[in-house]
Amino acid sequence: MTGQPGYIGASASITAEDVPALYEGAKFYSPAVGDANRSSITSWLAGLLDRNGPVPLLRVEAVPPETACVSVCVLGSGSAMADLPPAGDEFEVAVRQIERLQRVSFGAVYPLAAATISALVAVVAAAQLRVPLLDADGMGRTFALIHHTAMHLSGVSPTPLAAVGPTGESVLVEVPSGPRADRMLRANVDTVGGWAALAAYPTTAGVLRRAALPGTVSRIANVGRLLLDRTDPDVLVTRLGTITGCRRVARGRIAELEHLSRPSDVTIPAHPSSLVIEETGGLGRQLRIELRSEIVAVFADGALVAGAPDLISLLDVSRGVLATLDSLEPGDLVDVLATPADAVWYSPRGMEMVGMASHGIPLAHPRRR
Amino acid sequence: MRRSSTLPITLGELARVQPLAAAEPHLADPSRTVEQVVLAETFDRLRRCTPHVLVVLHNEAATGGWSLAAALHLAWERNLSAVVVSRSVAGGSSVALAERLHMSLILIDDDPVDVALQLAGQVSAPAAARALRQARLAELLAEQTGIRGVLGVLNRELQQVPVALMIGGVVIAGQSAALTERPQARRIEVEVHAPGERSAARLVAAVPVSGPASVEQVESLLRLARPSLQAAWAQSRLDAATRAAHEQAAFGLLRRLPSAPPPSGEQAGIEVPAWTSELGWQVGEANRAVWLAPLRPSGEPPPEITYLIRASWQRGHSTWPLVAEGDGWISWHSGADPDDVVALRRALAGFRDSAVAHRLVIGVGRAHAGVAGLMRSVAEARLAAHVAREGGPGAVQWFDQVGANAALAWLPTTEIAQVADLCLEELMAAKDRAALVQTVLAVLDAGGSLSQASQHLGVHRNTVLGRLARARQLGLTYDEPGQRLALHVLSYALTALWSDTAAD
Repeated sequence: MTGQPGYIGASASITAEDVPALYEGAKFYSPAVGDANRSSITSWLAGLLDRNGPVPLLRVEAVPPETACVSVCVLGSGSAMADLPPAGDEFEVAVRQIERLQRVSFGAVYPLAAATISALVAVVAAAQLRVPLLDADGMGRTFALIHHTAMHLSGVSPTPLAAVGPTGESVLVEVPSGPRADRMLRANVDTVGGWAALAAYPTTAGVLRRAALPGTVSRIANVGRLLLDRTDPDVLVTRLGTITGCRRVARGRIAELEHLSRPSDVTIPAHPSSLVIEETGGLGRQLRIELRSEIVAVFADGALVAGAPDLISLLDVSRGVLATLDSLEPGDLVDVLATPADAVWYSPRGMEMVGMASHGIPLAHPRRR
Repeated sequence: MRRSSTLPITLGELARVQPLAAAEPHLADPSRTVEQVVLAETFDRLRRCTPHVLVVLHNEAATGGWSLAAALHLAWERNLSAVVVSRSVAGGSSVALAERLHMSLILIDDDPVDVALQLAGQVSAPAAARALRQARLAELLAEQTGIRGVLGVLNRELQQVPVALMIGGVVIAGQSAALTERPQARRIEVEVHAPGERSAARLVAAVPVSGPASVEQVESLLRLARPSLQAAWAQSRLDAATRAAHEQAAFGLLRRLPSAPPPSGEQAGIEVPAWTSELGWQVGEANRAVWLAPLRPSGEPPPEITYLIRASWQRGHSTWPLVAEGDGWISWHSGADPDDVVALRRALAGFRDSAVAHRLVIGVGRAHAGVAGLMRSVAEARLAAHVAREGGPGAVQWFDQVGANAALAWLPTTEIAQVADLCLEELMAAKDRAALVQTVLAVLDAGGSLSQASQHLGVHRNTVLGRLARARQLGLTYDEPGQRLALHVLSYALTALWSDTAAD
């Protein structure tokens, strides 16, 4: 991007200088992810952009409707990716496999989720394929399963899809039902190396105009710039609020980390546990934060005040940075931030798919009461 | 307000019987009534609960900390009585939240469904649950062997109802709050008979009118405690009697030591016999004796009183002896520093209420080393106690501050008064005899100075003159040198006797 630091708005392209901001912003929308492979992925992408030039970032409406488009993302565990780094061609190979199968030539790439390293690998794929990147994605944050997308809700099939592992092996999946695709892929991810490059949801720009969530790549770059600009936490929360609509639920000190063994839905990779925070100031409430692979609910004195699909994140107040779930310790002072997800996720079908009930919490969402 | 046995059972009562007796209760308000038990599987079921329901969570509604937090909030919104949940679901933070919401939380180890069924039975038949509770209390009481233990069980089981055991007007054990009059409490008393069918003590309880326990219920629970109390009472009497006899004999032996000839002509102090330490006595260092004496001596005190005095004197100073001797009791404090009286002063201050209650006065001797010193201190304390009698019940007199005045304390005032009856017939018949004798005494005390005497008595000098003239007419010829000493003593004795009688 060529704008000044602090620029807020849609970008026209992504350059090597934008990579750190992209990474930080992508982290905001997926608070559960650690920093394990930060340097390897950012330096890889920055090098690519330096060699191949900036990647154009286009609004979906700016692309002819018949343009074939495909989404990419990383499947599996981020720490596995840190252990077994990409050879470099996995995403390109995955896209090419679908091109061969469908006998099309993709004119644009878009991220399946503009969050985590999946947002960055979409830029990688666009740079390698020398096609533009669409400023849109399927989730607007991260969800656990690949059919948890706005495209799926609009009736776009995730298949045919290709998953290429770091060992060069690949899996091609064609199933009529999106949820089945996820189960078949998950069975193979460990075998191909713990993670895989995924190319999925091949469709046209015309379909994406109604099916994808717009502007989400520009948004993470903007959010990332704010986060990199180390500032007073109160100012940071206010600024984040103007871009993301997030609000501070409460500020408090972590009192307890509870790891209770309880039953959980096996389809969602999760280790249910709770975080108890004593609110400092205000009403002095006791906040209970329910953790899965992400933060799925916030209770204040037992009353549900925020929950999935809201994006709930913790800001380490003393350091002014986002707190990752694996870094929390009793005594930390944190701000609990709740960011509304895209409106599509609050529809009945969206709630059914990614709402709190899907995490085993059968309570009415505070936004729908 | 009379409470019938079919009144809804309270949380506090439920928590005292199985299955909740084995649970970990965090009760915000034990007097909350429980009108119904609901086994809640879902949050929807919780939302349909009415106030005063006790809810047992299971399945979906008890899947972890968050679910308990949400359930507590719902329970608070619905004004439920309590939330019962498996212990595995709750952590310390859940208890903290329950306290914050003022919601009762009970953590169980048993199967929630079983617990809910049992609770439902108890709530529907409160009388049966109360009977179960009494049975359990009877078991607890039977385990106790001491009076304090029995009272401890009563006070623990009858929350918000203070219970005390009294002998005469003195609280022996339990909470003295049972005796304070409160507008919203009804006092009930249950006689406890000592062996031999005579009433020895009373159990007193103050039952809050609006509290969880009914008067009838408390009364029956107090009756349950009687056999245990009688057993404990008899046991402690036996122990105390044995110990008192032991100490008395030992002290007698100790007393004879100084008069016995020292073995092999040694002039060094008497060696402290080893058996004193078996009694827990300390004699070897500087000993300061204390004499506890009745204000009005009337022969040897009964063993019950000795028992009571011992209990309150030795509270916190269990190693200090208490030997009944004559009409009083001897104790002493032994320490390396003869001037250190901090512990003794503290003990005396702590004993003051008991001294007043039992109408005792206290004399304190000086500190002297060794066995002989102890005996000397005992004599001093006894003398000081006689002087202390002028101060009324609870008075403490230190021998150091007595001096020659102690001689006056030994005057046989009763006998001297009889002399007055014979020699000063006219005076003793006069109505104003007390004022006359008091005035003469004041003038003699002041060495004949009328102005000093009038100042001391707080009357006008002319009044003093008038009284003196009338006293002389009635035979009290105080200004004849040959009779002055005799009449001075007589006046002192009469004044002392009359002021004592007035004090009674």
